[in-house]
Amino acid sequence: MTASTNRHSAPLRVALVEDQRDVRESWARLVSSFPDFDCVVTCATGEEALRVLPELRPDVILMDIFLPRMSGIECTARLRALLPEAKIVILTASDDDEMVFLALEAGADGYLLKRTEPEALRSALWDVVHGGAPMSSVIARLVVESFRQKPRGPADTVRLSAREEEILLLLSRGFTNKEIADQLGVSIETVRSHLKHIYEKLHVRSRAEAVARYMTARIPRG
Amino acid sequence: MGHAVCHLILWTGVVTLMWGRPARLLAAEEGGVLDPEWGVGAWIWDTNCTDKQTCRFWRAVDLPEGSVVARARLRITADNGFRLFVDGREVGRGSDWRSLTEYDLTWVLRPGRHVLAVEAFNDRLEAGVLAGLRVTFLDGRVMELGTDTNWWVVPGEPRGWEKRRRPSPDWRRAVVVGAFGTAPWTTRPLAVVEVPPLQPVNLPFWKQGWFQLGLLGLCLAAVGVSLRLMARLAWHRHAEDLLHRERMRIARDIHDELGAGLTQLVLLAEVARKEHAAVPGVAESLQRLCGRARALAAALDEVVWAINSRRDTVRDFVSHTCKYAETFLGQAGMRCRLDVAPELPAATFALPTRRNLFLAVKEALNNAVKHSGAAEVRLGIRCEAGHVEVRIADDGRGFDPATVPADRNGLSNLRQRMGEVGGGCEVVSAPGRGCTVVLRVPLHPPRRGGRLGVRRAATRPAHSPGAESCPSAPAAERLRGTGDVVSRSG
Repeated sequence: MTASTNRHSAPLRVALVEDQRDVRESWARLVSSFPDFDCVVTCATGEEALRVLPELRPDVILMDIFLPRMSGIECTARLRALLPEAKIVILTASDDDEMVFLALEAGADGYLLKRTEPEALRSALWDVVHGGAPMSSVIARLVVESFRQKPRGPADTVRLSAREEEILLLLSRGFTNKEIADQLGVSIETVRSHLKHIYEKLHVRSRAEAVARYMTARIPRG
Repeated sequence: MGHAVCHLILWTGVVTLMWGRPARLLAAEEGGVLDPEWGVGAWIWDTNCTDKQTCRFWRAVDLPEGSVVARARLRITADNGFRLFVDGREVGRGSDWRSLTEYDLTWVLRPGRHVLAVEAFNDRLEAGVLAGLRVTFLDGRVMELGTDTNWWVVPGEPRGWEKRRRPSPDWRRAVVVGAFGTAPWTTRPLAVVEVPPLQPVNLPFWKQGWFQLGLLGLCLAAVGVSLRLMARLAWHRHAEDLLHRERMRIARDIHDELGAGLTQLVLLAEVARKEHAAVPGVAESLQRLCGRARALAAALDEVVWAINSRRDTVRDFVSHTCKYAETFLGQAGMRCRLDVAPELPAATFALPTRRNLFLAVKEALNNAVKHSGAAEVRLGIRCEAGHVEVRIADDGRGFDPATVPADRNGLSNLRQRMGEVGGGCEVVSAPGRGCTVVLRVPLHPPRRGGRLGVRRAATRPAHSPGAESCPSAPAAERLRGTGDVVSRSG
């Protein structure tokens, strides 16, 4: 587990990467208003984030997908290599699941809707930090499909366990974490721990590929 | 211009009639010029005469308009040889000055201008050409024309000289080198060789000008029509492409400007709400503001989704519909169960179809939330044989379709929506048995009133690897059915 669990009382240090000034400031104030989170730094571009964040070593990085020049996905992939301990959370509008999936593959630990209500936001942040961030049915389906495709290379031996695939299929059918726990006769913590492993496998899978993949990929917007 | 030409022709005709040119031609100028016994003129040649000399003679013959030729014969000989052309067509050769050759031109001389051309060859010593044309008309008139100084000598060998309709200014008059019967051609003709009557040239129809012109015109017309069609097709493609890009741009603009602005608004209001939570009244107002702004943003998302041409696929429709159902049913406190075929085709799903289908699904979900009282709603989506089928089933109280007036259960609305895009709607319900709504639309509705019927070819996508691992056999069957999905060809 990360150091954050040990320092249970100290607020988690949050960094924010977002190009629009108003949004950046509002998010910083909103995050800082939670007692257990503290926004320590904000960056306007991915380039700035890569320069500043490795020294500051924040616990959580909130990342916008659509950044000028270097996309949030590429920035995520690069930061993941530099800061393996940090949790990277993607901020997204509601209609870019495929983008979110790419970001998860690139090393993001979870994602938040930009218009999430503050209370939900706080609990979602907690979920991400402690592993097993919630996953929507659409993303769950994309993950299942991705793992069912042929191996991407000889080194790609990462497979989902039967239980993990079962949980993803239930998620893709609209079950909530609690309903899955009831259905499988396990605790909700067990479900979350499975989810955490699924995210990790997704990262391991993509780490076999070069970061370059995200450097050249042009992201269609909108 | 054409008008002036018409006048000119008319006046020429009138003048010709008044002066009686044909009569003059017959009586004074040419009449009685031939030897009465042998029917030939005088020996003619160029001014100088050399051995191995070729000399060309040319003469136009004008037959009066309206006359009918009863008989026309041409007698000709040359010292030492000749080739005779009538209207540019070679009709015969001869090489013995002591015999005359007679050509019957009855069938080839029609009223109007004709051209006689003789290419004569002198081997050695004296040279001359001797010829005579006698034309008898049906009305008894006779026209005679012999070799004399009215013939032209063609210098050199200009191209197409034998076809010319009028003499060139550099031609000179022929010279009479001796009357018929005078030295050195004192010998009377030994014989008159008669050549069978010359038939008018009868070209097969495909060699005739009108046919060739017509064919050419037809080809040009065909080329023109195809070019036009191609241009229209290209324009149509271009227009479609333009529409596609324009829709994408509008969607992006709305998303970036309005959507991002609304998100900022929500954030600002949330921050204000947090920081002024202690002030009574203000917090509630800001809370309401946030709620309104969020609802507005959600509505905007839907508009952007509908406009954006990047979302014109079945996959995207499924994602969007599932997400909507989850959120909507979640807010209503109902469980949402999704049953979506794992490998959905990336086939295009035209805007009117996906929009109408989505609105119908929305309405069916709304009905379920409002009337069913169910704990759970199942949303099933599959794509097979070129159709998309959405099934919305609840386990609520249900109703008897027979007792509910068609216009009051909101089903006529669904039917109308589906009808607009060539689909269908089916509702199965009974009291206490829940309600199932099945919406079915073709992926590509038949075009109505499209002037250019752009065909869409059926393509067979690669067999999906997910089909083998599918849990149930019927589902696998259905997946195989998706192989028939029609997708856009271009």
